[in-house]
Amino acid sequence: MKREELITKWLDNNLNNEEFEAFKNLEDYEDLIKLNSYLQTFKADSYSVDKALNSTLSAIKSTKKQPKQWLKPLLKIAAILAICFGLYFYTTTLNTTINTAIAEKTEIELPDASSVLLNAKSILAFNKNNWKNERNVTLQGEAFFKVAKGSSFSVITNAGIVTVYGTQFNVKQRENYFEVICYEGLVGVTHNSQETKLKPGDSFLIIDGKKIALEKENASTPSWLNNQSNFKSLPFKTVLAEFERQYNVTFSLINVNKEELFTGTFPHDDIDKALKLITLPSQLTFSKNKNSIILKRE
Amino acid sequence: MSKPLHNNICEERIFSSIFKKHSKDLYHFLYYKFGDSLNPKDKVQEAFIKLWQNCAKVSPEKAKSFVFTAANNLMLNEAAHQKVVLKHQKTKPKTYTNESPEFLMQESEYNDKLQKALANLTDAQRTAFMMNRVEGKRFKEIAALLNISTKAVEKRIYGALKKLRADIKEL
Repeated sequence: MKREELITKWLDNNLNNEEFEAFKNLEDYEDLIKLNSYLQTFKADSYSVDKALNSTLSAIKSTKKQPKQWLKPLLKIAAILAICFGLYFYTTTLNTTINTAIAEKTEIELPDASSVLLNAKSILAFNKNNWKNERNVTLQGEAFFKVAKGSSFSVITNAGIVTVYGTQFNVKQRENYFEVICYEGLVGVTHNSQETKLKPGDSFLIIDGKKIALEKENASTPSWLNNQSNFKSLPFKTVLAEFERQYNVTFSLINVNKEELFTGTFPHDDIDKALKLITLPSQLTFSKNKNSIILKRE
Repeated sequence: MSKPLHNNICEERIFSSIFKKHSKDLYHFLYYKFGDSLNPKDKVQEAFIKLWQNCAKVSPEKAKSFVFTAANNLMLNEAAHQKVVLKHQKTKPKTYTNESPEFLMQESEYNDKLQKALANLTDAQRTAFMMNRVEGKRFKEIAALLNISTKAVEKRIYGALKKLRADIKEL
C-alpha cells in the first residue's frame, strides 16, 4: 500500500491491524505521532452543551420582552419629530420683550393697530405669533395702552389682570403699588380674583395691598405722556419712587414723613424745577450731590 | 414522506434537541476557524438566538446549515480577515516523560513552530484538520458538517498535514 494512502487512512482512523503495522514501519511514523500529540495542546476550551443551552434559552426569554425591531427606528423618528415640534412651539411661543431703562420712554406697536407707551424702567412682553388668538401682554412697570377693537385684550401683571375691549387706559404696577386708570371704553380689573369694572375717568388704586378711592380723572391721557407726573393725595414715598425712576437719582430722607399725602406735579425734563416742585409744598430743603439727593425738614 | 404536525423549531423541546446536537460542533468549527479572540461561545449563542427568531421559517433539516452560516457571518462581520493564532493549553502531551531542560526547550520551540504553522494554514484547512485531529471527527462527519464531499475533506486534511510538516521543518 502506498504511503500517502496509509497516512490518509490513519488520519481518518480507518486503519486495520495489518495496515497499522505497515503504517508503523513508515519512516515518518515518529514524526507524525509527535505532531499529533502536540496538536492536542491546541484543543478548544471545554464546551458544556447544557450550560450553553441554558444561557441561550434564558437569553431568548429576556430578548423576547424587549421591544421589537421596528420599534427602534420608529422611536428615532418620534424623537426627531418631538424635537422639531418642541423647537416650533418654543420659537412660536417665544415672547417679544421690551425693556425701558431709567428716564427712558418708548412707544411699541403691537401686531394689530394697538399701541403701548412704556414709561421708564418697565418691562413689556407679548407673543407676536399667538396675537390673533390671544391678545395678552405681560407688564412690569407702567404703560399706557391704546387698544384696537377686537377680542379681549389682557394686561397681566403681578398685582392683577386688566382685561379690556378697544379702549385707552393706563396701568401702573410698581412695588406695593397698582393703579389702573381708564380713559376710554370699559376696563375690567381682576385683583385678588375680584373683578372691578372701570368706566372712563375711573381709577383703581391699591397701595400696600389696600384699596384707595380716587376722584374722577379728567385728563384724556395720563400725565406721564406729557413728560409730567401728577399726584393726587398719594403717599410721598410713591412720589419719590417715581422721581427716582425718571431721573436716576436716589433719595436720602432726614426727618421726612414718607406716608404724608402729596398732591402736585413734577416735570420729567428739568430736575431742578422738579425738585423744587416736590419740596416746596411740604416745606422741605434739598441738597443735591451728583445722583444722591438729601431731603430734610428744617 | 410524512411530515409531523409539530415538527417546528419554535417548540422549545425541538429547539433544545437541535441545540444539543449541533452547538458543540459549531463551537469547534468557529474556534478552529477564527480562533478564540472573537468569543466563539457567544457567537454560537447568537446564532441559535437567530435560529429561534426565525424558527417559523427554518425547517429542522435546514437548522444546522442555518446556524453554521449565521455564526460564520457573525464572525466575519466582526473582524476583517486576520491571522488566527490558536492558543495552546498549558497541559503537556503525556507521551514524553523525559523533562530535561534541553528537552523542555525543544518542546516549547516545537510548540511555537506548530502554532505558527497552524496560523499559516487556510481557514478551511485548519478547520477540517483540527476537527479531525483534535476532536477526533472522521472525514464523513466533517463533510456533513461543512456541506462538502468526503473527498474534499480528505484533500483539505492531507494538504494541511503536508503543509504543517513542511512549515515545521522550515521554521
